[in-house]
Amino acid sequence: MSSPIVRLCLVGSVLAVLAGCAGVEPWDRDVLARPDMQIVSDPLEAAVDDHIYFSKEASSGGQGFGGGGCGCN
Amino acid sequence: MQLKKRQSPTFQKIGAPLAAATCALLGQGTSNEVRAQELQPWDIDTSLLIYSEDNNRVQDISLNGLARKELREDSYLNLTLAIDTLTGASPSGAVPSTVVQTFTRPSGDGQYVIGAGQEPLDDTFQDTRTALSANWEWPVTRLALLSVGASLSDEFDYTHTGLNAKLARDFNNRNTTLSFGAALANDTVSPVGGSPVPLAAMLEVGNDANKRGDQSKDVVDFLVGVTQVINRHTLVQLNYSLSQSDGYLTDPYKILSVVDPVTGNPVPGPAGSGLYRYLYESRPETRDKQSLFGLVKRDFDGNVLEASYRYMTDDWGVDSHTFDVHYRWNFDGGKYFQPHVRFYQQTAADFYERVLFNGAPVPTFATADYRLGEFDGLTLGVKYGQETSSGEWSARVEWYTQTSTVDSTALVGSLNTLDLYPDMNALIAQFTYKFGGR
Repeated sequence: MSSPIVRLCLVGSVLAVLAGCAGVEPWDRDVLARPDMQIVSDPLEAAVDDHIYFSKEASSGGQGFGGGGCGCN
Repeated sequence: MQLKKRQSPTFQKIGAPLAAATCALLGQGTSNEVRAQELQPWDIDTSLLIYSEDNNRVQDISLNGLARKELREDSYLNLTLAIDTLTGASPSGAVPSTVVQTFTRPSGDGQYVIGAGQEPLDDTFQDTRTALSANWEWPVTRLALLSVGASLSDEFDYTHTGLNAKLARDFNNRNTTLSFGAALANDTVSPVGGSPVPLAAMLEVGNDANKRGDQSKDVVDFLVGVTQVINRHTLVQLNYSLSQSDGYLTDPYKILSVVDPVTGNPVPGPAGSGLYRYLYESRPETRDKQSLFGLVKRDFDGNVLEASYRYMTDDWGVDSHTFDVHYRWNFDGGKYFQPHVRFYQQTAADFYERVLFNGAPVPTFATADYRLGEFDGLTLGVKYGQETSSGEWSARVEWYTQTSTVDSTALVGSLNTLDLYPDMNALIAQFTYKFGGR
């Protein structure tokens, strides 16, 4: 991957684009409020999967912290 | 992003302000009874996980629990518990051979023998792991949510303690949420039989001249992320994270075979040991990992697509790509069906060596741990769930396989006839039951 400055610019550009999104009014959030539309809709499944893949692969984290706390890797 | 709690068009959330306003108009304070009724009771998630690798490799039975309680309005306490019972055998890193191989157990008080052509597995792998975490989140301003947490886990040979904090701030009429987080961890490893001197040769039973005491490492994680509502049906998330580890990052139970560069056969070990030559692995004492993670979540007429991608790179030379897709079909009566596909690909660490050759200079760092080699991973799974009057139950079954990339430079002499890169196949089964005041 390229330098931290390039990465920062990339993230900044994405933020600028996102800030331009029209968005949704609070009274139109019935769909987004559903449990299955939450960013992490099943925390236990996510935790178990993070633990399995942390144990079996060289990568971890991304959506949350890098995991760890296990002698398995 | 407090989508569920803040934007839910229910009367529950406006109940407290209405009661407060009513009481104020009547010249009374808000009664404790009214407050108590507004707070959500405990929500409990429980699950049983069975993880089973083929060929008598790792088996894990895991009990997991998550309890969530609203302490004050929009202030929550989250508690988790995980208990893992691990048994089975784990690849030691040594290569199979056309001759019988004898290894000293990590404890130093016994041996195990691997037959000709068999993959060297250390069958003493068993442990019980207990992990606890507590996390408290509360609104520090009308638009900002702060959470702080602590974690603790304990195994026979490993102890972890950690702290974390995260701040999420809403912008843009709550359509954009920026998050910043940090986590600190300190882990101590107390290997059975001591921690081997890196790249020292395996010695005979009872000889611990190459073993040392406990080791530790510190891990610092940083995360910055943005979650954006795109429209009434679509959310996206983008995170950047940095993880820095410092300390003992070596696996004390992994070894490498030293073989003849022409015949591929094992060579004699230390005089008097009666063993072939095996060296304990050695990894750098620092590691910096960076990840870029993107997720899209979209509703299609009541069904939900969730797709994510993660790119990870570290200073050990590992680059990885992870694609993950779930599609949830919702049916009448609170039933749903959800297939899952995950594809993973990683390059090898710079110091990954499937085998070391006798007579060649011994490198500063070397590992034959397949998890630091080059491989592809594929997961296919299905999940079925059903809502109940107080929550939900669900069951999922997944199949996970890893296929390693063969490095032909390791295939010399007799090693050409052996499987140095066996596939790893695992079955994942999880049953989850959720209940409480949700």
